[in-house]
Amino acid sequence: MSVPPSPRGDQRPTVHVQDRYRSWINQSSVWLLVVDLIRHLQCFVAVAEELHFGRAARRLGVAQPPLSQRIQRLERELGVRLFERSSRHVTITKSGALLLDEARQLLAHSEALMATARRIQEGHSGLLRAALPPDITGETVAAILAGFQERAGGVELELHESGTSEQLARLASHELDVGLIHHPCDVSGLELGPVLRHELGVLLPHDAPEARLETVPLAALTGYDLILFPRAHAPAVHDDLLTTCARHGYTPAAVRHGQGPSFIRGLLLSSRAIAFGPRDAHHAGDPDLSWRPLSGAPLARRHSAAWPKGRGDAAVRAFADTVTDALGRTAAGPDLSTGPLHLRPAAEYWI
Amino acid sequence: MTEPPARTHPRDRIRAAFAEAGVTGRLHAVDIDSGAQIDVGADQPVVTASVHKLPLLVTLHQHAEAGHLALTDQAESPAEGRTAGPTGLSAMLDPARLSLRDAAYLMMAVSDNTAAELLLERVGLDAVNKTTERLGLTRTHAVQTFREFIAGIREDAGPGGSQALADPQVLARLRALDPARTNRSTARDMTRLLGAIWRDEACGPEHSAAVRRLLGLQVWPHRLASGFPFDEVHVAGKTGSAPTLRNEVGVIEYPDHGRYAVAVFTRAASPAAALPAADAVIGTAARIAIDALRSPAPR
Repeated sequence: MSVPPSPRGDQRPTVHVQDRYRSWINQSSVWLLVVDLIRHLQCFVAVAEELHFGRAARRLGVAQPPLSQRIQRLERELGVRLFERSSRHVTITKSGALLLDEARQLLAHSEALMATARRIQEGHSGLLRAALPPDITGETVAAILAGFQERAGGVELELHESGTSEQLARLASHELDVGLIHHPCDVSGLELGPVLRHELGVLLPHDAPEARLETVPLAALTGYDLILFPRAHAPAVHDDLLTTCARHGYTPAAVRHGQGPSFIRGLLLSSRAIAFGPRDAHHAGDPDLSWRPLSGAPLARRHSAAWPKGRGDAAVRAFADTVTDALGRTAAGPDLSTGPLHLRPAAEYWI
Repeated sequence: MTEPPARTHPRDRIRAAFAEAGVTGRLHAVDIDSGAQIDVGADQPVVTASVHKLPLLVTLHQHAEAGHLALTDQAESPAEGRTAGPTGLSAMLDPARLSLRDAAYLMMAVSDNTAAELLLERVGLDAVNKTTERLGLTRTHAVQTFREFIAGIREDAGPGGSQALADPQVLARLRALDPARTNRSTARDMTRLLGAIWRDEACGPEHSAAVRRLLGLQVWPHRLASGFPFDEVHVAGKTGSAPTLRNEVGVIEYPDHGRYAVAVFTRAASPAAALPAADAVIGTAARIAIDALRSPAPR
């Protein structure tokens, strides 16, 4: 079938974009051109977000001249001016702004397509990219690996260790298929498995006077520094925990950021500091440390499996179910908020 | 990250401020007179919530200008059936009668949902969309009334009520947080609207001045205004909020006649209702942007 040459120059009605597509689709190398369009759109989105050709080029890992050429070619092909360039500023045009959303969506879809293609490329022996947070115990990791093997033996599991912030970023860019995240965090664009709640107790040197108490009120920890995971791993979880401590009368004079079990152990034994952890954490059985429940169970770690909306295929579900089972064995039941909520007038909404 | 703050691009400092406060944020700031701007996700669709009371206010004044109504027309607000809200008529117990312009004052000063609903009944949702369309705000659209917006949150929260809004599962399904399914705009569209109001283009000079006056009477000190603790700087704005969402759009005016439209839309990772840092970062981010716009050095 022959294709009439597309009109050039004089008239460019809005259907022109579609006409170009039709002519592409009738050519033999459809795939190459689609990949090409995706590359051009990546350039467009990068420049639109940076509003600076140099920064966009750095972000894409390309030189600036080919980036400028790509933008020019895209503008030519679309028949639309995307950016205004002056010697000092790049600004997005109104037409560019109108196309930006669709370009982003197309990029997201293409990433999703690539990820799914990778997974099904070799029939059943697909690949699932999953992540677990660093504070999970070795026993739980082992249980998850074994459980997943049972549920989805045909799928190869690529397991990463990363904190909630990193997982959220990688889920959003579809570099990760499923994760286990700590709440609260920004859940836009995600689907979640059941939220599990693990009560946190206090870890302290076994000769500390508070270690003799059956349960420790948070207020009794006044005077101890707090050892907590680095805030960047999950800022909202970090802040939420400090707010709850403050609400119950414990405002630590200093927060020391640390994560590894031996580092935390060292701090606990050598300085006047405490840490929070679930009963089944790494320190169980350590003769120098005591774990005590907190009075009224005010603190909890809450997590759930999470995956990008609309991408919960069989392998993702199998992983989510495995994680929920493995953690559910030690969870304190469903997550329920406690206490009243007093919305203040500046909240603007009232339900 | 290790670079001293003054040397990094304002966009990076704004992103860092958002991250530090535990929110994701979109910002657009523009010098109303020169057009110089700072853009952090300014074209991303955002949920407007009560920020949409500003397009409603402009619509009201356009209708008054066209003679469709008089701002001194009286409106009845019966005690029954008021739209839920913590301020203004929404919080009052007895029937009230007031002029349209006084209802507009309550809507802008304390984000009174019942007053907003009264005015929306007069002009209609379609008229609000026509106004934004005529002003070239192509990404701005209202699909529901304020009463419907709040009812939607209540419905999606389910029997657990407002406490259920702390549940990640509930938040993930809240329609009020999805720009595709509720009233929406972009930071860039909102600064365009503010620019039109400050240049007397949204309405004639008299009505534009009335709109500016009401924006200057907003009582909240915790968001945009918190970034400008300077007696000689004038702050005018309108907030918008929903679970995890904190917004404000407004104009900052300096005594040297510099005037800057700024729109900030944030979503917090934490569902907590009291989150002072998330409110304050709206002012912090706006201040970084406006300081950069005012700086003589190249950005």
